[in-house]
Order: sequence, then C-alpha cells, then structure tokens
Amino acid sequence: MSSILQSLLDPKKSWLASLHMKTLTNRLRNYGLRYDDLYDPYYDLDIKEALNRLPREIVDARNQRLKRAIDLSMKHEYLPEDLQKMQTPFRSYLQDMLALVKREREEREALGALPLYQRTIP
Amino acid sequence: MANKQLLSLARRSHKPPSSFTVVRSSSSAAEEFIKPPPPTAMIYDRIAHSLKSKLQKLEKPDIRFLKYGSPHPTQSSHTHILSLPETKITTLPNGLRVATESTSNSRTATVGLWIDAGSRFESDETNGTAHFLERMIFKGTEKRRSEEEIENMGGHLNGYTCREETAYYAKVMGNGVLKAVDILADMLQNSKLEEGCISRERDAILREVQAGEHTEEAVFDHLHSTAFQYSPLGRSIHGAVANIKTISTEHLHHYIHTHYTTPRMVLAASGAVKHDQIVEKANKLFTKLSSDSTTAKEPATFTGSEVRIINDYVPLAKFAIAFEATSSTDPDSIALMVMREMLGSWNKNAGGGKHMGSELAQRVSINGIAESMMAFSTNYKDTGLFGVYAVAKPDCLGDLSFAIMSAITKLAYRVSEDDVIRARNQLKSSLMLHTDGTSPVAEDIGRQLLTYGRRIPIAELFARIDAVDPSTIKRVANRYFYDRDIAISAIGPIKELPDYNWFRRRTYWNRY
Repeated sequence: MSSILQSLLDPKKSWLASLHMKTLTNRLRNYGLRYDDLYDPYYDLDIKEALNRLPREIVDARNQRLKRAIDLSMKHEYLPEDLQKMQTPFRSYLQDMLALVKREREEREALGALPLYQRTIP
Repeated sequence: MANKQLLSLARRSHKPPSSFTVVRSSSSAAEEFIKPPPPTAMIYDRIAHSLKSKLQKLEKPDIRFLKYGSPHPTQSSHTHILSLPETKITTLPNGLRVATESTSNSRTATVGLWIDAGSRFESDETNGTAHFLERMIFKGTEKRRSEEEIENMGGHLNGYTCREETAYYAKVMGNGVLKAVDILADMLQNSKLEEGCISRERDAILREVQAGEHTEEAVFDHLHSTAFQYSPLGRSIHGAVANIKTISTEHLHHYIHTHYTTPRMVLAASGAVKHDQIVEKANKLFTKLSSDSTTAKEPATFTGSEVRIINDYVPLAKFAIAFEATSSTDPDSIALMVMREMLGSWNKNAGGGKHMGSELAQRVSINGIAESMMAFSTNYKDTGLFGVYAVAKPDCLGDLSFAIMSAITKLAYRVSEDDVIRARNQLKSSLMLHTDGTSPVAEDIGRQLLTYGRRIPIAELFARIDAVDPSTIKRVANRYFYDRDIAISAIGPIKELPDYNWFRRRTYWNRY
C-alpha cells in the first residue's frame, strides 16, 4: 500500500512527480532558494529546534539565501542567468535533523513527560 | 540509468574540488560550462554532508550504552545488600540505651548522645533554653575543656538542637572512642555553667538571631510558628530575644535536671567500636543523671494559616506551603516519603535539567518559573508537615503556585505506576546513600531509637517502601491533602503570590 504511494510520489518513477519537481526547481532557481529554505521556524517549533542544532555555517547560508530572495522579490527581479545555472534547489541540509527532532519529541511524549516546547497562541 | 549517474557522481565527488563534474540537471546539457557546484565546493555543503553521516550513526546506537540507560523505571531486587551489620542495643539499669553498629573495616568512629529533648519541651517563658544549653555545654566542665581534648585527639565535636531532639556527638579515631565517651559523659553531667560564659554566649546568640533573618531557615521557622501556633512545636529553636536575655544558670540546670534523663537518651556509636566496651564504660559513667522517664509534652495542634513578610528590596521571593502530615510512627509516613520523592526537587544546578522524572520539576524547569524548588516531609512525634518550598523571581509566582498545587492535588487523582516505581527506587537509594560514613550511621541509629524505639532493619524498610503502590498513594493523598487546610509562609517580593483562599481552593479538584 505505502509502496504504491511511494512510487506515485517518486520523481524517478512517476511522470507527474518529476514534472512537479521540475516546476519547483525552476521556481526556486529564479530566486536562488533551496527547498529546505522554505521551512518556516515560526510555523513549526520542531523546525526551530532543528535549526538551533544545525551548525552556524549552514544556518548563515540559509539566511543569506533568504535575504537575497527577499531582495529580489522586492525589486521584482529574478536571479541573473549565470547564477541561476549554479543553483542546487534540492540539496538538503534540514531533513535529517528535522527527522531526529521529531523522533525525539515522539519518544518523549510516549514516555509521558511534558513537552519541552509548546506552540503558544499569540 | 539514474543509478549509474548517481554512482558516477559519487565517485567523482571524491576528486579535489577544483575540477567541475558534469551533473545532469533538468535543463539541457548543450551549452553548459556553468555548472552547479559539487557538494564539496562550499563550506556549508561540506558541513551538511558530514552532519548527515553523523546523524546516520545515531540510527544504530551502541547496545552497551542502552544496557543501563532505559527510561522505563523497573523494580529490582536488593537482597544482596540487605544483610548489613546488625545494630546491638543494650538498655542499662538506669534506662539509658546503648546502641552500636560496628563496621569492621573502618578505622574511625562516631559516638554520640541523642536526647529526646528539644525546643518542644519548653514553655513560653523558657523558650530558647535548649539551644542555649547546647551552646553552653560545649564551653567546658569543671575538670577540663571538652572541645580542646577532642581536638587534641584529632577528632571533631559537634552538636545540634532540633525541635524534638538534641544531639552531641564526636567523630574520633578508633582508639579514642572510650575517651570520647568519657568526655561526653563529663560534658553532660558536670557542666560548668558560669555567669561570664553565659553572658558572652548570649551576645553571640543574639547576633546569630539577627543574621538569620534572611536565610532559608527563616521561612521554615515562620512556617512552623504559624502552622503550630499556640502550640509547643511553633516555638523557634533560638527562642525569643527577650527570653535569650533573661536565661540564667538556674534555668539551664533545671532543664538538665528535668529533660536530660537517662530513659530519654541514647548513646549511639558506629564504626570501629566494640559494643561490650562501650556498655561497660556507660554503666560506670552515666550515674548523675536522673532516671525520670516522664516527658511532659503538650499535644501539637495544626492551624491552617499564613504569614507573609513583604520585602521588595530583596531580589528573590521564598515561600513554603505545607499540609499537616502524620507522626513518624504512623505507617503512612513511608507513603509520604515516597510522595515527597514523586514531587522531587530541582534547582538550576541540577544535572537532570528539563528531563527529570517528577512532573513538577519538569513544569518548573521547562517554563523557567523558579530558581529552586524542594518538596519536604518532616515528622514529629504526633504530627508532621508535608509541602513544597520554592525560591523564585517575583514575576512568576502565580504560575509557580499553580504548578505546585496542581502537582500536589494530582497525587489524589492520577498516579501512574512508572512514577511510583521511580520514586520508590529514588527513596531507597537516597536512604542508603545518606547513611554512608560513621556519623550519618550514628545519627540514624540515635534518631531511630528515639522515634521508633528500635532500629528498623533495612530489609523491613525496603519491604515497607515496596508496599506503596498507586492506590496507596491515592488513599494517603486523599487522607492528608484532599480539601485540607494548609499553612503558608512567604518572605520577599511576594506581591504576586496568590492569597490563601486561592491556595485552599486548589487543594481539591472538581473531577473524579
């Protein structure tokens, strides 16, 4: 059951999934962002915790990419073509750490302890 | 085909970073001489790659680390440590009890006298005599100066006064035990209580009383004085300042004569001691004390009340909330000890941090609402106190009070087996860890003989602790916490601390 779902979603096996990946690549390349840059720490506190654990250089690079994208969007421009060809939108830096943080939170909840952080409604 | 590309990419990425590799991206490969950099070009990509390999190592943890580090509390058997050296107790004809526990491998020993007399047995006019007397006894006897003699042997002489017991003990080398018994007997029976010494001691005590206003003990003194108001346990150990100024030699002699009587004393020794020698020495020496075994005691009454001393000029607020608990001889006192471990204690230096077992400690540490928090359970002869003492900054007192009261009242409603097993294990290990060394063992012997009349063997104590299970906790909590009056004492910038009715309402929940 889950393997059918996996093959539907795998860009190497399904035409629709690879089309989606190409579209995303083009759109991310326009602004010079990676897919992992779109994860919002204010949306999910696990992402905030994962970003806290990542080394400083990775987080700095992420912030620089986001600043560059914000600047381009404000000026209604896209990234220059030569730089666009150097982009790697699907190189991941966050997924492993995020999975680890989520695993630890599940384990803590399963043991019956209070959660270390909780979303507060502003 | 995609696999082959990935393999070639992996092989080529081991080359030095200066050479570009051809990566098939989704755009056409025709006019490429600008390519996306390999994963080793930029430092953040290199670091991300090494991080990925480290995180993958976490998937397969080393079994050796998991062997004893299980987060699930388990009941284990302690039969191999339960056969500890036996305590030998002899009662002399004049009523004095001599109890020793000799551990053959120690070269030092502690010998001391534990007396069932304290500030509880005074009256309002003589409040402060017990403490004064304890200080004076160290000053010397007719024949010799006790402190000097013990120090010459290389030992320590020490003593303390509590509300219900007084103790004088000496830590000496193994060959000085009999001489220490001699000195102790002399101190108690032939003390030279002369006027000059008394006035010097009086000034020292007055200065101590003034300095003690701001310590942790002040909160507990106020707590006792309000919880047991109009009752002997409420009197402070130092005594009122007016009383300290008027205590004289006759008061001290009268106190010795009425309260330092042989049936109320225990000569306890532990370490490199031999029981028969000490019994013989005690028989010869303790002859001048009266054998009156009446202990005039008024019953202690608990009054639900509070005392708050606002002082906005100190940085931290300290407060304690207490319920009336039970006497030390009641079987429920063991359940209360387990409940004290369930609530636990925490301070900012605690190694466990936010990951401790007790829910109250987790709540306090995760939200940062206290500087330190401690649950306490004290037992006297006919009553006791159980509660929580906390030190906090002034702005989070409301949250902290909520956390404390909800944790205490929760013990009457929802108790999980895991928590109880963990608390039992912690209680057993803390009891054993605290009696490590000759002085704590001697103190334990003295205290147990005075409160229980016998020394409880470790096996029996562990069996009693293991008999506490979640239904026992709920029953005991219902008996002592559910909708019962409390005593509060608070010092410091306590403007935000909720009022008495707020606390009293939270001693019960409207749910089942």
